[in-house]
Amino acid sequence: MMLLRLISWPYARKHLLRWLLTMAGIVLGVGVFVGMHTANQSVLAAFRETIDKVAGTTQLQITAGEPGFGEEVLEKVQSLPEVRAAAPVIEATVSTGQGNLLILGVDMLGDRSLRTYDLEGTDEAIDDPLIFLAQADSLIVTRTFAEKNGLQVNSRVPMRTMQGDLIFTVRGIMKPGGLASAFGGDLAIMDIYAAQKFFGRGRRFDRVDLALLDGVTLADGSAKLRALLGSGYEVSPPSSRGEQFEQTSRIYSLASNITSIFALFIGMFIIYNTFAIAVTQRRSEIGILRALGATRSQIRTLFLTESAIAGSIGSGLGVLFGIVMAHAMASYIGNILTEVYGVAQRADGIQVDPVLIGGAWAMGIVTSLFAAVIPARAAAYVDPVKALQKGRNQALSEGESLLRRWAAVGCAAAAVIAVIFSHSTAIFYAGFVLGGVAAVLLAPSLTLWLSRFLRPLLAFLRPVEGTLAADSLIQSPRRTSGTVAALMLSLALVISLGGLARSSYDSLADWMRIALNPDLFVTTAQSVTSRTFVFPASLGDGLRAIPGVDEVQLVRSVRVPVKGGPVMLVALDIGSVERRAKLPAVEGDAATMYRRTERGEAVLASENFVRLHGGKLGEVLEIAAPSGVLKLPIAGIVRDFSDQQGSLLISRQAYIRFWNDDSVNVFRVYVKQGAQDSDVRQRILDTFGKQQRLFVLTNKDVRDYVTRLTDQWFGLTYVQIAVAVLVAILGIVNALTVSITDRRRELGVLQAVGGLRQQIRHTVWMEAAAIGFIGLVLGLLLGAVELYYAIEISRRDLVGIDIGYAYPFRTALALAPVILIAAFLAAVGPSESAVRGSLVEALEYE
Amino acid sequence: MIHLQGVTKQFAGKRQVTALERLDLHLARGEMVSIVGPSGSGKSTLLNLIGGLDRPTEGEIKIDGQALSTLSDDGLTRVRRDKIGFIFQFFNLLPTLSCLENVSLPLHLRGWPRKKIDERARELLDLVQLSGRLEHLPDELSGGERQRVAIARALSVFPPVLLADEPTGNLDTHTGAEILKLIHDLHDRLGATILIVTHDMVVAESCPRTIGIRDGRIVTDVRRGDARREMSRA
Amino acid sequence: MNRLLLAPALSLALLTPCAVAQDARQIMQEVQKRQHSTSQHYEGTLEVIGGGNRIATKRWIFDRLGDFGNSKGMLRFTVPAEVKGVGLLIVNHPDRASDQWMWRPNIGREQRIALQDRSTRFFGTDFSFEDLEERDVEQYDYKFLGEEAGTWKLQSTPRKSSQYTYGYLWVKKDNYTIVKIESYNKKGLVRVIDYRDFEQAKGIWTARTTEVHDVTRNSRTILKYDKLEYNIPMKDAGFTLDALRRGA
Repeated sequence: MMLLRLISWPYARKHLLRWLLTMAGIVLGVGVFVGMHTANQSVLAAFRETIDKVAGTTQLQITAGEPGFGEEVLEKVQSLPEVRAAAPVIEATVSTGQGNLLILGVDMLGDRSLRTYDLEGTDEAIDDPLIFLAQADSLIVTRTFAEKNGLQVNSRVPMRTMQGDLIFTVRGIMKPGGLASAFGGDLAIMDIYAAQKFFGRGRRFDRVDLALLDGVTLADGSAKLRALLGSGYEVSPPSSRGEQFEQTSRIYSLASNITSIFALFIGMFIIYNTFAIAVTQRRSEIGILRALGATRSQIRTLFLTESAIAGSIGSGLGVLFGIVMAHAMASYIGNILTEVYGVAQRADGIQVDPVLIGGAWAMGIVTSLFAAVIPARAAAYVDPVKALQKGRNQALSEGESLLRRWAAVGCAAAAVIAVIFSHSTAIFYAGFVLGGVAAVLLAPSLTLWLSRFLRPLLAFLRPVEGTLAADSLIQSPRRTSGTVAALMLSLALVISLGGLARSSYDSLADWMRIALNPDLFVTTAQSVTSRTFVFPASLGDGLRAIPGVDEVQLVRSVRVPVKGGPVMLVALDIGSVERRAKLPAVEGDAATMYRRTERGEAVLASENFVRLHGGKLGEVLEIAAPSGVLKLPIAGIVRDFSDQQGSLLISRQAYIRFWNDDSVNVFRVYVKQGAQDSDVRQRILDTFGKQQRLFVLTNKDVRDYVTRLTDQWFGLTYVQIAVAVLVAILGIVNALTVSITDRRRELGVLQAVGGLRQQIRHTVWMEAAAIGFIGLVLGLLLGAVELYYAIEISRRDLVGIDIGYAYPFRTALALAPVILIAAFLAAVGPSESAVRGSLVEALEYE
Repeated sequence: MIHLQGVTKQFAGKRQVTALERLDLHLARGEMVSIVGPSGSGKSTLLNLIGGLDRPTEGEIKIDGQALSTLSDDGLTRVRRDKIGFIFQFFNLLPTLSCLENVSLPLHLRGWPRKKIDERARELLDLVQLSGRLEHLPDELSGGERQRVAIARALSVFPPVLLADEPTGNLDTHTGAEILKLIHDLHDRLGATILIVTHDMVVAESCPRTIGIRDGRIVTDVRRGDARREMSRA
Repeated sequence: MNRLLLAPALSLALLTPCAVAQDARQIMQEVQKRQHSTSQHYEGTLEVIGGGNRIATKRWIFDRLGDFGNSKGMLRFTVPAEVKGVGLLIVNHPDRASDQWMWRPNIGREQRIALQDRSTRFFGTDFSFEDLEERDVEQYDYKFLGEEAGTWKLQSTPRKSSQYTYGYLWVKKDNYTIVKIESYNKKGLVRVIDYRDFEQAKGIWTARTTEVHDVTRNSRTILKYDKLEYNIPMKDAGFTLDALRRGA
């Protein structure tokens, strides 16, 4: 401890700026990690909280995927003696001017045995359910929502329903707390039978909530209910819906995990760099300590303690930064998840998980310690005699670099072998890690070689400044290799993610061209993915009758449980789709698979379904339907991007038969040759727009929507990339700050013999540019490798689609000026401090 | 050539230190002067002020009629670049550059054409008898050789003023004598004004004029007829 | 035992006070016998006096056809305007709980009232859907507790599922009308029903006013019966789901 106070503290104080920059690496790494996860968890927690609050005293829920089930199920459930109370629920999210509103359709008669509706005042209208029920336009809203929208009892609320535009009346206002605080308070209660009508649900419920009689165990109750209802239904506690959501948003967590760990990894290099430099700079100090009797382990402990302190301060700041970031990101992520998965949740505040925070904090410290291990070891082995001799800083020893080079070659070789045996997931990921390690180990040697290569070039540009800049790099690879490695890693990240995005957009564009080729889409909402409202099938006939309409395809897409997870089942007229929008077959006989599926003998599985859920051509899938388990073989595997978790295409007739549901989410309308899309669109709106909730989207609208969704999806990725690059640039600042300190005397001489300030600046700038250039070259090269892995990971574990390798040359090209400019900006501070110091001191500087 | 009037230099700190106090000094063109005094007397400070590496707290310094106080930092650098050559005790060669590159350095900084730089650098190294070591790095040279490279660098533009801070301080007696001889030769051949700070009395007394400094003031100013001739006679 | 809608009928005609006082079941059988009618019609007025003495008024028309415990009832709201047309069809079964459906003209569909919901309050009043049922004497066990001021006090215990665990009844000795019922569940007293203003119609003693007191909420509902008629001709067709939908 004494050593810390006497030795470390003065050094840290003297190089405060550098320590701050170093900590910035940890701050960003930990911050991104905490931010992403806290935001994710908050969204999840918000979703869970909404489930919890909506569930009330519900013990079990009966569901059958998104299509729901007929009303008779309710009576069946209520007839079970173990059931104390069972109430039907329809849950729908509608967008109002003020964001999303969660509408809970319940049966006011029976529902109070499960949920408490704590109303303000004792309003007669609600106190008297007769009026609430007799008036189908009744709504109960929360005080939060009422205040936000200036509503009172008897206020009117317009809403677009399947029955056209209707005015609803507020008949009660719930006090805050409990149910009323679900979904951030943006909640409204509607009679379930009215909801059936207004949301186009027919005589179906989304689910049945129930409570068991006292003394009946959950296990017992579930078993009885399962026996009663058959395998087409799921009986589970409300909390399991949270797990399902977690599963659907798994991709998102995984993606954010990878990038945040990357950020931390980059941060580690910055820390390594700083410590390596500190050890070099403090050699004589270490020598003195050793001469005075300090043991090697004391020296090592000193450095490790320093790094632990820096790590814990940095992690602490990172945690704070992460929490701030989570605030900004939670609602953004929430929106994406709502749009992509159509799950109602609302993360207004954030939930800070102490375990996560503690873990991230510890992770920051461990990272910091880990980064300092090698420098601390180097410090412990400083030779006191040599250290006390005045002279140049010790150069990187040849032996160490040779060993490292061999290790790098070994890792690279192992990585190549891993690629060959990459069908095993463990080996594949091991190869991924080894490849990265090899690159990192090679970074110092490559930096040296590239600097030597750059020297004549820089010397040609500026004989003095260029030469000195290059020499500075060559002379002290240790000073820059960490920074170069960090820069290399972040640029590789940029390239791999950028390439992934590029390839994804390309594949998506291909798919859109084939699959999204109808001229018009008739939907129930502005967004194509919304499944809150559904159309009756009869509307299809009406649409066909519109002049100019050539063909109408009826699409019903629902999530149903398959292979233990909710999978998008797309029911449509397979024959018509084969003619109009035949998806490219990945596996299976393209000629027969559509026919077999059309006859209802089989399903078509998307490529990503097979990848993510496991399955192969010809495998018989068990799909739970209310009328029993449907067993259909996979007749073909097609490339379909309908859903991230994979989709199954089934014939509409088969769907109607097994789910007893003939409703429609989207009508795909093909316009006759010669007819104008806009005319037909107008005709549809004129004919049905008044009496029905209906949107007619053009082909372009839909494509734009899909693209926008993808943009949003990659949006956060870009943020993470930016953070990674920022960390790397901080590394440049760090390296340059050290460099000018090391070269103070040299720069002083330069000024003494007539170097102008501008010339001094040039040499610092050129050094920065050289670091940027080297990092860029290495990053772009490593990026090519990382992109391969990114695409493989995405194919194997994320979206399950092979999107093909395409190096993002344009991104790479665009990066060059960005990095060089960033390097220049990073050099501004250090170069200014280089020209401002006292010349006399610089010349006397040891 | 060099004119100091009422120059005072104070260093701020916990305790204010006055290094030079109201110092007046005049050096004529082509004069060769040594400055002697104990450690801390202010002689290095005086050299730094004259070389424009530092600025006085009070007073005026003129080099070749040019008042330094009116100049910006870059202006000072230009004066240094055109009129002053430095020779340091620790040579201050850039370790990564060869002899030729070290000598070329000031010329590059002046933006001379490469060919001319190369010619001049070789000429200078020839002058200090190092033509055989053009591509050697400083680490590969002996102390005397390094100082000769440093002198060649100081002379690169044939400056009218040459400032030397303990030029023999880091050398053995024999090598020191060689370097001193070299400086005298150069003075004879180039006619530059030379100011040598030293506490080696042999070096000091070899100069025609010796100024003694103590506690920031000039305490002695001795002129000899021809010190060097006297020395060579001795 | 019908507690409410049929309450006027239940507390029927004056009869000989002959029955063996100790046999509770005989008393109740006599009560049921005296209130017997083949059909019934009345217009009810309902006042709920809630907290703060706020009064809400509703009116309905009620028809009933069939023997006690096996009858059908049709209730149709007339006042207030918001609920006009809402109907309730009750089909009683001698051996089990009744079936009940509500008609909701606004959304054009009927809705079954589930058994589990029978204990919930009947549209903001102080009685529950269960209180609308007719239950035959045979669905209860009775115990004679004693005599109190010209009445017999009996304890009734339902033989099958009910929200109540037991109740006390007070039957007037002179005319075998029930004048008061207290209903208890596991937690204690839930409801008190008082029958008042007895009049004879077609030979059946009928209370013209019933007051229900919900002890837990401390609120009261007063039901008044007008245009009371017994044994008028009615058709079975008027007591079906179709009839409910038609809004007869």
